[in-house]
Amino acid sequence: MSKIKRKKFIKQAATVAAGSFVLPYILPSGRLFAATPDPKSEYVIYVLFAGGVRQQEATLQGYLHTSQDLDSSFAGNIMPNMLQGAMPTKKIAFGTTSPGGTVGDTPIPKILSSPLQDQGVLFKEVRAVNPGHYGGLNSLLTGNSSVAQGLKVRPNFPTIFEYARKHLGLKATETWFIGNTIANSYNLLNGSEHPDYGLPYGANFFAPTITFGSPGRQVLSNAKIYHPQDELAPMYKMKNFLDNAFRVKQGQIPSIKNTDDEKTRIKEFVRNTFQKDSAGQIPGPPVSDNGDMRTIKYAAEVMKEFKPKILVLNMTAVDVCHGNFSSYLRALHRADHGVGWLWNYIQTQIPEMSGKTTILLSPECGRNMNPNPISDENDWFAYDHSDSNTSRVFTLMAGAALGSNRGTFSPTWDISNPGAYTTDNVLTIADIMGIKNMIPSGFMHGPARSLFDRF
Amino acid sequence: MVFLSCKKDRRVNYAVVNQTANDIIINKNKAKTETQFISILYANLFQEALPINELIMTQNVIQSVGDRALVYEIILSNYMNTNGVKMPSDSAMKANPEQFIIDTYKQFYLRIPSELEKNFFLNYFEANPNVRPELVYTSFAASDEYLFY
Repeated sequence: MSKIKRKKFIKQAATVAAGSFVLPYILPSGRLFAATPDPKSEYVIYVLFAGGVRQQEATLQGYLHTSQDLDSSFAGNIMPNMLQGAMPTKKIAFGTTSPGGTVGDTPIPKILSSPLQDQGVLFKEVRAVNPGHYGGLNSLLTGNSSVAQGLKVRPNFPTIFEYARKHLGLKATETWFIGNTIANSYNLLNGSEHPDYGLPYGANFFAPTITFGSPGRQVLSNAKIYHPQDELAPMYKMKNFLDNAFRVKQGQIPSIKNTDDEKTRIKEFVRNTFQKDSAGQIPGPPVSDNGDMRTIKYAAEVMKEFKPKILVLNMTAVDVCHGNFSSYLRALHRADHGVGWLWNYIQTQIPEMSGKTTILLSPECGRNMNPNPISDENDWFAYDHSDSNTSRVFTLMAGAALGSNRGTFSPTWDISNPGAYTTDNVLTIADIMGIKNMIPSGFMHGPARSLFDRF
Repeated sequence: MVFLSCKKDRRVNYAVVNQTANDIIINKNKAKTETQFISILYANLFQEALPINELIMTQNVIQSVGDRALVYEIILSNYMNTNGVKMPSDSAMKANPEQFIIDTYKQFYLRIPSELEKNFFLNYFEANPNVRPELVYTSFAASDEYLFY
């Protein structure tokens, strides 16, 4: 190669190299580069557990000893599907009611042969960064402390759904938020108002007690079935013409958007679910006597049909603790029962997700150290959530992403130096999905880390 | 010296010129609320007001589904499967398709169609004789313009 040719070659090579830097491949999702790390697991189930859980009745397993001032023989674990530890033996009031017995006198039989704690890692002391339900749920879903979050408005910062959909190019039907109510703005948690993300990347949402409950049955179950070619096709043709003539500006219709095919699939799912429900063919937790348990059975149906990459399940029944401690204990025991049933269902009834799913659970907030003056039928006092004990919660993670990691991360509780934060969960899920490095750091709560970086 | 004189009054007659009240294009830029959408839809289809308890229940159901357009389509499909929907017969539509499409635009969009819009539908009806009023009503009620006022 002559000297001139060599120069020309170097110049051309440099041009090509520069071009490859300035013209990266643009993925359909809008991102420029593919996620580099492989996902740790294909599917994530994220349980927002379950309406304000007092640490003393959860991982500390104090039962009536640490709540109603009874001696230590009244302590025990009422979450046997999630946590290691023996159940209480005295004054059982959290189970089902035996014939002629007192309310809640029979613990619900365990579903999992070994608790989730044995199948993963328990972060025994975690700091909840927001003491309220909506703020707490926002922080669990956005990874931001959400201190400026208002009620009746969507999250200020992007949710994990939006990160996953935007950076992984997921379809709307691959991310789901299932909640047991539309109260307290919970139905707004499927997507944020953030201009860089927002509802175009939000998750599908059902509140099954309404969608598939009595209201939904009256409003949705009698839907006409149109023929795809003879009826739906001309309808969509005319609608598309009308929409093109009107030309809505971007953002004028604030809603998530499923494709026509996804919409058809969801409509079929809704119709089939009503039919299966009428025939009593929807499996659910053996004890399904509250809204949380009924919600879980529909969440399982969604999983079976759509195999979502991320499904977030919100439970709220334990919030009855503001006014009835016995009901709170029953709701907490049932929340554990529901989680156990769901995990078992995934492993045994959804082969596509079995062994490929990670479950992550955290309460959005804890509860007070001291009770309020409201007592229930057992003369037990209720608890609100406003003092520093409210910051004390746990996170449990189990399943595929953990590999062989097992154990309990159990530092001494220190509110100013906690072992982990509830805001860690978004980065943890992003880590599991291989998109952790794509999340803008300024959007996260400062101390938040992936839980994989904490053990 | 100052000269003063009177001026004769001018007689002015005012009259009204008839104008068509329908605009071809109306600047609709406000999204209907769920309550507005569902009340108007019900009134359009059944020619009567939606009972308040049903309105609240429907509103809750709408909020229980994440995709607004999807849930509207399912509700609309439910209405179409309910007795009492008032719409022109298939034969009436075929007898005077131009009037049918003008009436449909007025009913759902509160305006008359442009020539382009009218011609699209007339051509479409001619090319697709199986299209019936229910399908046209559904496409109008599910369209973006119907979400705005």
